[in-house]
Amino acid sequence: MTSHFYLLGGSITPERLSWIEESLKFFFVKLNPENLLHHTKSKDSIFTFLLTGDALYSLQNPQTVPVWEIILSMPSVKIICDSKELELRGISVGPLKMKNPEQVIDRNSLALNGQPSFWKDVLKFARQHEQPVPSTVGYLQLESPYMHQSAHAALQYLDAGVEAHASVDIYAYLDGVHVGHLGQNPSECENIGTGLEAVSEKAQKKGLSCQMIACGRCAAARGYSTWDDGQGVVISTCSIKPFRIRNLKEIIDQFERNHVILAKDSAYIHLKKEGQSSSTTKSEDERKPPITILVTRRPYGTEVAFGAISFAVACAYEGIQTRVIFIEDGVYALMGDHKLEKGTHFFNLQEVVDAVAGSKNLQFFVFQPSLTLRGFSKNRKLNAVLDIGIPELGQLLFYPPSGVSANHQRVIFF
Amino acid sequence: MTSEPEEIPDFSNLTCTNLMIRLKILLKKAGPGAPVDCIVRRDQRDTINVPFSHTGYDVKIRKLDTNRYRVSLKKKPGLDP
Repeated sequence: MTSHFYLLGGSITPERLSWIEESLKFFFVKLNPENLLHHTKSKDSIFTFLLTGDALYSLQNPQTVPVWEIILSMPSVKIICDSKELELRGISVGPLKMKNPEQVIDRNSLALNGQPSFWKDVLKFARQHEQPVPSTVGYLQLESPYMHQSAHAALQYLDAGVEAHASVDIYAYLDGVHVGHLGQNPSECENIGTGLEAVSEKAQKKGLSCQMIACGRCAAARGYSTWDDGQGVVISTCSIKPFRIRNLKEIIDQFERNHVILAKDSAYIHLKKEGQSSSTTKSEDERKPPITILVTRRPYGTEVAFGAISFAVACAYEGIQTRVIFIEDGVYALMGDHKLEKGTHFFNLQEVVDAVAGSKNLQFFVFQPSLTLRGFSKNRKLNAVLDIGIPELGQLLFYPPSGVSANHQRVIFF
Repeated sequence: MTSEPEEIPDFSNLTCTNLMIRLKILLKKAGPGAPVDCIVRRDQRDTINVPFSHTGYDVKIRKLDTNRYRVSLKKKPGLDP
C-alpha cells in the first residue's frame, strides 16, 4: 500500500502531536474504517513518521509519549527514528519500542559507507510513490545553517538522493538562502556550503541534475544579489557556484512538478484519484500537486509567517491549489485588529490576508482548537478565513481539492 | 490616491508576488471606481497586466522609460474580483 509520511525535525509540542493524532483518528474512523476492521500490523504502514532532530524528544517527553501510544495503537502506523540523533541526545525509545516492537524502528538502513543512514530510509519513502521511480527529490530550506540543524539535514538528504541515483534540488527561501553563502568556514560543524558544492559535483559526475535555487527577494534582502539585470538574472559574488538566485517563480515552477519535496517539518499525503479520467483531458493545472501551508509561528517576531503567505500567494498564482491553515501560534496572525504605522515598508498581515483571500487557487483557514487554547477568537473582519476543526482539517489533509488529479499533496510547516 | 506624479508609489524594487499583494491591498482600500497608480519595471508590468485584466480590472499602462512603466488599475463597475 502507498503510505503517507511525515518528516518531522523540529520540536513536537503536545499541541502539535494532538492535532496530528486527531487527524489520524479522523482518517481511520471517517475516511478509511475498513482499516480498523482488518487491523493488521503489516510491514506496509499506512502512516510513517520519520523523526529526526528535536522531534525525537517527543518519544521521551511524558506529555507526548501517551499521544504517541494512541497513534501507535492505530492500524499500520510506524515511527522511524534517526538512530544517530537518538544517540546524540541520549534519548531512549525503549518503553515505546517494548510495547510496539514492530512499529518503532530505531535502526536505519546502511549507506554505501557501511554507516546507518536515516536519510537513506527517508529516500526510500521519497522515491517509492511513482512508477517509474521519480528521478528527482527536492528539499525546501527555510533556516540558516549552523544556528539550525535543518541545513545539515538538507545536505544529508541531498547526498542520500545522489547516492540513490536521484536528481536532487534544494530550494532556499527566507534565511535558507544562507546555506549558499560563499566562504563558510565553521570550526565545529560540517561546512554546509562545501557540502552542497560536493553534492553538486557528485551529481554531475553521475549524470544527475542538481538544482540549487535561492529566492531572489530573500537573497536581495540579505545582501546576496550584487548584480541584477532587471530581467530575472542575478549574479552574486558571495554565493557558492551551484547556487542560482532567481525570482521566487522559478522555485514555484519546481513545485508544479510531481516529485516529492520535503522540508524540516513536512508531510507527503497520498491522494486517492477520484474517477479516472483520460490523461489527455487533464489540464496542466490539475496535475500540479496541491500544497497545504501550515502557518505555525507568530506573525511579526520573524519573517516566517509573512514568508508563508507570500509563498502561498506565489503558488496559487502559478495555478497550484493552495490552502493556508493558521494553526498553533500561527493563529496570533488573526487576533485583534492589527495596525501598522503609516509609511512603513512592512506588511500588516491581516491586510495581506484580507486582500489576497478570494484569489484563484488560494484558501485560508484557521484551526479553531488553536484559538480556543489561546483564549481568543479570530478578528471578525477576516471573514475570508474559514474556521475549521478536526473534521475539516482531516478533509483538507486527506482529500484532494476539487479538480486535482495529482497523486499527492505537499504539506509544509512554516 | 491622487494622480500627482510625485505621489505615485514606485514599486519597482518589489518582487512580483509582493507587488501583487501590495496592489491588492491598495485596490481594496481604494474602493470601487477609484484608480490605483504605481511605477513598475518591465517584468512587473507583465505580471500585473494579464491577471488583473482577466479578473475584473481596467489596466492602463504607459511607458515612462526603458524599464519604467506607469500602471493604473481600476475595478470595472459591477464586478467584485
